Amino acid sequence: MSATRGRSGGGATTSGCGLKRRNAPQDHEDSEVMNQDQPSTEDWCGRFWNGMELLKDVTEKKHFLPTGLEDIDTLLGGGLRQGQLTEITGPSSSGKTQVCLHSASNIAAKQMGLIMYLDTSNSFSPSRVATIIYGIADLIGQRGFELQPKDARLKSVMKSIICESVFDIFALFEVLHQLEVSLLNDKVNNGGSKVCLLIIDSISSLLAPIIGGKYPQGRSMMISVAVILKKLADDYNLSVLVTNHMVSAGNGAVKPALGESWKTVPHVRLMISRENNICTATVLKHTLLASGRTAKFVAPSQMFGGSSPRRP
Amino acid sequence: MSYTGSAPASSSLYWKGMESSGDPPILAGAQSAWDMLSDEQSQKHITTGSGDLNNILGGGIHCKEVTEIGGVPGVGKTQLGIQLAINVQIPVEYGGLGGKAVYIDTEGSFMVERVYQIAEGCISDILEHFPHSHEKSSSGQKQLQPEHFLADIFYFRICSYTEQTAAINYLEKFLGEHKDVRIVIIDSVTFHFRQDFDDMALRTRVLSGLSLKLMKIAKTYNLAVVLLNQVTTKFTEGSFQLTLALGDSWSHSCTNRLILYWNGNDRYAYLDKSPSLPVASAPYAVTGKGVRDAVSSNHKRVRVT
Repeated sequence: MSATRGRSGGGATTSGCGLKRRNAPQDHEDSEVMNQDQPSTEDWCGRFWNGMELLKDVTEKKHFLPTGLEDIDTLLGGGLRQGQLTEITGPSSSGKTQVCLHSASNIAAKQMGLIMYLDTSNSFSPSRVATIIYGIADLIGQRGFELQPKDARLKSVMKSIICESVFDIFALFEVLHQLEVSLLNDKVNNGGSKVCLLIIDSISSLLAPIIGGKYPQGRSMMISVAVILKKLADDYNLSVLVTNHMVSAGNGAVKPALGESWKTVPHVRLMISRENNICTATVLKHTLLASGRTAKFVAPSQMFGGSSPRRP
Repeated sequence: MSYTGSAPASSSLYWKGMESSGDPPILAGAQSAWDMLSDEQSQKHITTGSGDLNNILGGGIHCKEVTEIGGVPGVGKTQLGIQLAINVQIPVEYGGLGGKAVYIDTEGSFMVERVYQIAEGCISDILEHFPHSHEKSSSGQKQLQPEHFLADIFYFRICSYTEQTAAINYLEKFLGEHKDVRIVIIDSVTFHFRQDFDDMALRTRVLSGLSLKLMKIAKTYNLAVVLLNQVTTKFTEGSFQLTLALGDSWSHSCTNRLILYWNGNDRYAYLDKSPSLPVASAPYAVTGKGVRDAVSSNHKRVRVT
């Protein structure tokens, strides 16, 4: 069973590569027919970009998606960048899921696009999302929104968050493949994709059962996931947000899980810790800004509407 | 699972979506947050027996979620576990779920006489709340026998971590055959994993695999999974502190975490982790009838600062 599913996951990557070269979605059909026997090198290579084109692409398509949590947005230089993979790491109940839910709610409320939410720990809470959406003040300022009753507004916002549960790595491969296929369809038929954010909460719980030990397969699957996520991010201007847990590093200290080879994968790494009500976010890695900066903010759980008690 | 990844297969998927809803689904089978919200709002929760405890849990133990309950020995973890196995069976007409329970006992602490007692306590409370149902048809009355409550608990006694892993793997099949099970209780998830493991990395892998299986079961069969956990001491910053057992990786593997602790002579529960609810604590009591409100609490939500 797992062998076949694994192969279908692997097939996802190869067929995906063949399906969409960045330069020429329009001649995709011709080349499919003409070059079936002899695929030429250029087809697979893609074309080079010069710096000005890159800059244009970045300014037009690679926006920062605001999480709605001001301190984190400032730390990240505006939010979660499209085309990049952002990782949030932190100990249990430090607020990782809250940042994910908040980002999803905020970006949905601002109508920036669809949000794909992959949940591995049954922690996607629709009622929490509804609470956050009600709390986002500038929702009223949206065009045409004030004309709709409150519930219809909530409905249209919540309809743009799509959630799927994923409980093993093969299911993840399958979902990502399916996502890639529909994104490609969107690109060909509608000239652009509607999905702007992909959240995986948490990627580490899918990878934890398979990495380590004597055998290298788990590690190679981890890197496959990384390759697929980065490809999706780049090709379809998705911002990818994943959460990672923390493991003991000895001496009572903790470090992000998944080890050294995962360390290079995220473009941006943000660590969150919580002490009573105060969250501290630290930038561990960033592509544009200095790392090591921190910000303290009130725990998102504070926005539940009451004051929270201290730990006993 | 049958698609091949070629363009024609995917376009048929696309058009199917266009026909049905007018908008192509990005992912077949995925739900929007709006649909999930209405699902969630129609869900009933499993009462703990204590109103204060239900309050901090947002109405009780939630289905489709994994809840971890931890605490020092003797604080009432098993009592709460048994109480939930009974309460899940409260018939629908009395405001319950009318489901069955799976109880996986690794420590041998499931005392069936006590279960009988708690079932009796539960029934007497139901009759107190619904005095008129006494005169009602005997069909409803028939269910309200402690014997019926006992008969609807499926009990597994587990004596090693191999058995425990096997039992959890088997659960998926078992639950497919017993669709009316609404709660799975594992008392405790820890016991066998605290010994016999030389390779701690292997233990972490086995446990994280188990936790994903339990997550899947909870979601697929729309039931609550309750894991009881022991405490351990951890040496941090020059002092020993009590934390839940099984380490840092395991701490990520539940949706909600409730910690039971003593505050003087009173028992308290502290909601430590939840995706939808604030951290809060509430007192509770373990009486002859089972888990109930602490008498002094006056039915108000009490927070400890």
